[in-house]
Amino acid sequence: MSDKPARAIKLNVINEPKDSYKGGPSSLCPGCGHDQISNVVINAAWENGIKPHRIAKMSGIGCSSKTPAYYLGQSHGFNTVHGRMPSVTTGAYTINKDLLYLGVSGDGDSASIGIGQLIHAIRRNMDMVYIVENNGVYGLTKGQYSATADIGSKKKKGKANETQPIDLCALAINLGCTFVARSFSGSKKQLTSLLKAAMSHKGFALIDVISPCVTFNNNDESMRSYQYVKENEITLHMADYIPHFEPMAEVEVPEGHFTDITLHDGSTIRLETISDTHDPSDSMAALTALHEAEVEKKHVTGLLYFDANKPSLAEDLGLVETPLLDVSDDDLRPSEEMLDTINKEFLNV
Amino acid sequence: MDTIANDFTINIATANGTGSQSANLILLQSLFDMGVPVSGKNLFPSNISGLPTWYIVRLSDDGYQAPGDRTHIQVLVNKATWAEDLAALEPGSVVVWNMDSKMPMDREDVVSYPVPMTKLARSLSPKLAKLVTNIVYVGALAEILGITDEALHKAVAGQFKGKASAIELNKTALELGRNHARENFTKSDPYVVESRAIEKQRFFMEGNEAVALGCIFGGVQLLAWYPITPSSSLAEGIIGWLPRLRTNDEGESTCAVIQAEDELAAAGMVLGAGWAGGRGMTATSGPGISLMQEFIGLAYFAEIPSVFWDVNRVGPSTGLPTRTQQSDISMLYEGSHGDTQHIVIIPGTIEECFEFGWRAFDISERYQTPVFGLSDLDLGMNRWACEGFTYPDTPMDRGKTIRDQDVFDAMENFGRYRDLDGDGIPYRTLPGSGMAPILYRGTGHNPDGVYSEKPEDYFALMKRLKDKINGARDNLPEPLLREEVEGDVGVIYYGSMENTIQEIDDILEDTGLKVSQCRVRSLPIHSEVEAFIRRHRMTIVLEINRDGQLWGILRRELPNDIVGKVHSVAYSDGMPPRARIYAEKILETIKGVSQ
Repeated sequence: MSDKPARAIKLNVINEPKDSYKGGPSSLCPGCGHDQISNVVINAAWENGIKPHRIAKMSGIGCSSKTPAYYLGQSHGFNTVHGRMPSVTTGAYTINKDLLYLGVSGDGDSASIGIGQLIHAIRRNMDMVYIVENNGVYGLTKGQYSATADIGSKKKKGKANETQPIDLCALAINLGCTFVARSFSGSKKQLTSLLKAAMSHKGFALIDVISPCVTFNNNDESMRSYQYVKENEITLHMADYIPHFEPMAEVEVPEGHFTDITLHDGSTIRLETISDTHDPSDSMAALTALHEAEVEKKHVTGLLYFDANKPSLAEDLGLVETPLLDVSDDDLRPSEEMLDTINKEFLNV
Repeated sequence: MDTIANDFTINIATANGTGSQSANLILLQSLFDMGVPVSGKNLFPSNISGLPTWYIVRLSDDGYQAPGDRTHIQVLVNKATWAEDLAALEPGSVVVWNMDSKMPMDREDVVSYPVPMTKLARSLSPKLAKLVTNIVYVGALAEILGITDEALHKAVAGQFKGKASAIELNKTALELGRNHARENFTKSDPYVVESRAIEKQRFFMEGNEAVALGCIFGGVQLLAWYPITPSSSLAEGIIGWLPRLRTNDEGESTCAVIQAEDELAAAGMVLGAGWAGGRGMTATSGPGISLMQEFIGLAYFAEIPSVFWDVNRVGPSTGLPTRTQQSDISMLYEGSHGDTQHIVIIPGTIEECFEFGWRAFDISERYQTPVFGLSDLDLGMNRWACEGFTYPDTPMDRGKTIRDQDVFDAMENFGRYRDLDGDGIPYRTLPGSGMAPILYRGTGHNPDGVYSEKPEDYFALMKRLKDKINGARDNLPEPLLREEVEGDVGVIYYGSMENTIQEIDDILEDTGLKVSQCRVRSLPIHSEVEAFIRRHRMTIVLEINRDGQLWGILRRELPNDIVGKVHSVAYSDGMPPRARIYAEKILETIKGVSQ
């Protein structure tokens, strides 16, 4: 028995302890980047004060898609089929648009088998957060290259990859995605700020997170190893997130140049300039940054592109204000009188 | 000459995209309005413009709906099939032909009625001549057969609702055709149309539209679909009804519609809706169901309500996209990899299309499993007579879904996949509710929904799923029976074969054979079907496919002692079933068994 007084449990803005946001133990390889991301998910949701049961955890198939079991144990989730998480999420959204849809996927799930569904969810500006845990290899099937493997990168076994990779961020920007960010599972602070901002965004928020595979792709010749990413990361800006419930006046003003972006729920993402200013509303600048990094074999991270003005799927659907889930059966089924009228019209009587 | 009233078949050969469908429907509707029992079959190509299309109109005081054995009156407009269509006619047939087509009319043994269709059409409207040509032959047919102006004008008004200039143009074109016939022909064929008293008011409708209306009354909340013949008009039917029936004064709807990027995504959206607690559906055809297999297995295993309408077309592969068949039933019943078994409901009339449209959602939510509506191109896209729709006789069944915290708190031993009632159906809570959240998955799971590879968990889960679907058997639409007291042969059939069964029955009866009939309306097979088989010396399963798919299902599921009593008659050539072909095959089969 300890004599020490019980430490007060730290609560968030809705008086929930962090434990309310945790999940089961991870069964991924020790040191996996995905586990770091799971922790960021827990922190971001807790610090943002989101009711855990109002989050829907969505995933496809693969190592990354197993992670919803490791966070947000009070949220319903759906570990769907390979590459098809966006469609299931879209269907769920039409019925209950008030939940926060938090999708997690991998590079196989998103850049290969599921690229079509990813593209169309972006096209619809479906209101969700979409995290890609991107390690360049298929982990669960033991280390085959994925479609995001960098040219010249070499995994632990086999030859170097020589096939042109798909850059999901460049793809998303070209598709008009309204929130496009890249980060690194080892950059906890940046990733947390970006994820919180994504949660506050209305529309499709893509965060492509380089997340090293310690088992198959963390060797020195790999361009997605911890060491390589640490040494070759180009950070566009420092990202700070200021939640809507925190008075702006109390936030310390940084010394250098910075840009504040107001998000849908009133929160702010503050981008502090490091060397050159990156304007996230400039899609050409974002594409240029991605292209230059690729040429230099670097990884550029930060909020690449942001657009608050595009209508999201909700506007397109033209639904009633109440989530369809809560519309009463009486309002879903037209009346008997209406059917009588229709019958009479057809019978011409 | 003796006349033949209301017992003949008209075949109209035109080219696709020339507007002939509109003219043919006016002909069909005007006959219907005269009280003549009539049916129309549209044999159209997979093409927007130019390829041959035929429209078959069958008049039958006996009420026969199938295309008959032969053509009595041939309308020739399409040069591409002219020679072939002409050559196929039996001597004594009537030919109404476009004399402006410069095609030879070289049969001496037919009754020839040449009509300058193009010239007459051009005289009325050079710009619309192609369209008007079709109305001209309807006018000529009307005069030759005795179709009244009153009926024609009513049909035209119905076809071009409110468009005064179109109505006027069509009426004038009908008059040109009629005048030409009156002034130039002496009636030298026996075929006449006679008005019949209308005992019961009915109307024409396509099955797809009836399913659509049924879905609206079933409270559909998400329609996710990908266009495919012959199901597109089902989805578009729903979209068409939404503004009137499911939209508030502010123009906001209670049903989401998403045209998905492919059938896989459409199925995924339907599952997402069901998972979230809503009523989601898709409409597709066989190729779409092939693509949806992965999600169908997930819906079965994770127990997600979801409704799939399959308007069957001819397979395999792209097959004959605009022709009809009953060849998806095995795929629906056992869809996806692994051991599965799905509920299939099979309407055979327009009234049932509506009923099963709403009922599918109730069944799916009750059993927390995918439900397939199986229609086909013949039922879905041809016009069938309908007496009107009956309002759902039960409130919406939302199944064992717990939406109330008090109810949940009072439950003991809740587990998402735990069978608390012994019927194989577990309870569920919904995302967002905070009640007993789980991570749904397509992997093996225990009664609490937690990942499990334990043999006992997997075995128990698969057994419960089997029990659950088995338990649905007698709560699904029961078979409809017409039994002969002395009949020792039973015929089992389903779906659109309903249109042809009476004529088959009469052909058989002419040979002295009386058969009982059993129309299966759902899978898994209702216990009444087994009882029907037991009551008969032998049973024939009649299907529009090659392999006898329902017969195969029956053979596997029936008790051993009666399997040998069940025989297959399966035939398909892409055409709507013609009674004589099936009747002859039934007779052959009976003969084979008796020998």
